[in-house]
Amino acid sequence: MVTPTTGSVYVAPSLTAALDALDEGGSAAAPFAGGTWIMRAPIRHEPLKSRYVAIGRIPELRAIKIDAEMVEIGAAVTHVALAAALAELSEFDVLTAAASRSANPAIRTMATIGGNLATTAFAAADCVPALLCLDAEVEIASRGGRERISLEQFLTMRSTLAPGWLVQRIIVPRRGRKTVHARLPLRRAGDYPTAIVSLAVSVDDLGHVRTASVAVGSVEPVSRRWERLEAALVGHPLNAAKAAEAAAELVDEFTGRDSADVPAWYRVRVLPGLVRRAVAALGS
Amino acid sequence: MSLSLTVNGDHLTSAADPVTPLVDVLREESYLTGAKPVCREGFCGACMVLIDGNPTPSCLMPVALAQGYDIRTVEGLAVNGGLNPIQAALEASDAVQCGMCFPGMVVSLTHLLTTCPEATRDDIRAALTGNICRCTGYERIIEATLLALATK
Repeated sequence: MVTPTTGSVYVAPSLTAALDALDEGGSAAAPFAGGTWIMRAPIRHEPLKSRYVAIGRIPELRAIKIDAEMVEIGAAVTHVALAAALAELSEFDVLTAAASRSANPAIRTMATIGGNLATTAFAAADCVPALLCLDAEVEIASRGGRERISLEQFLTMRSTLAPGWLVQRIIVPRRGRKTVHARLPLRRAGDYPTAIVSLAVSVDDLGHVRTASVAVGSVEPVSRRWERLEAALVGHPLNAAKAAEAAAELVDEFTGRDSADVPAWYRVRVLPGLVRRAVAALGS
Repeated sequence: MSLSLTVNGDHLTSAADPVTPLVDVLREESYLTGAKPVCREGFCGACMVLIDGNPTPSCLMPVALAQGYDIRTVEGLAVNGGLNPIQAALEASDAVQCGMCFPGMVVSLTHLLTTCPEATRDDIRAALTGNICRCTGYERIIEATLLALATK
């Protein structure tokens, strides 16, 4: 007998049609992009929604626009498509690495950037800290209009987003920074990261750090910036050992999340090492 | 509502709920039991099928969204009624496993052989990161894939 489920799937041909369907469905409906989190609801003992609006075939949500000022990424862009589109832009190394190393090759052809941001309960999404360190913004849309907010704001309100709203695109400013993504999975590949450090820095003519953005993922339930470490890096030469020392002094501000595979304390303990690895990769 | 699928070149209809994972429909309605619903998380690869030529964990694909695509299971990978090059190389290299994870590996490696004829040992390892075997045996599988690439 086929696994019992109850629901419908509407394949939206356009953004307007998707927003209409979500509006009409109200709290019974939800967007469906790659489905890599939604389809696992039964093993988390969570009920499926009765109505899904599939957005994966909407052309504008699958598009990536790159110009001199910014990169705009449609919510239904897959990880593999994102990595391919940004491969030649070194300032986005952090996001290319996040998109090309997450999960495994087959998952990367399904999982989407919008899904990574909108999935409240998935703490180990690689693209979230990568986008945080790049100062990304999120455009959300409903039948009633559009709103553009910082990714940090979006992360704080995504769990209470009213029915009918959809992540439409992600906007990432171009600032010519050096960036890197360091992750520690339990296995070398094909696994969730225990902890993630995403780093973006600019340096002055003397090689001193002018601006630093550090984001930490997978350690706590929601990814966030590490502002005290950012402040500690600014004004000093990029030095992996010094950065790791600073991280070790500040790491107690994190409270790790416990899980069956990794204890909370371990997620926190590996952070200085990841900072060291990230800074070293930038060529300290 | 009736769903329409194309599986291994055959047209199939299904009355399954639209959100039902494709792997369940393949196994329970079409008796195509090569794909196995093992982890149901997309991480073990035992349910891997080709959707329009791309390896896809069929546990994560709702059957409604599989409509309109060419679905190819391990049962549909034969060439002229015989083994395809990767299957032949795996057999010749004694790289066959118990059958739980192996159909998914054959699917992933068939895709690699088709799309990456210059694949290196590292490429093969990367392609198999989504296919987990609990019994080991990866090295012979990699050797067999290199053999298939060399004789293609």
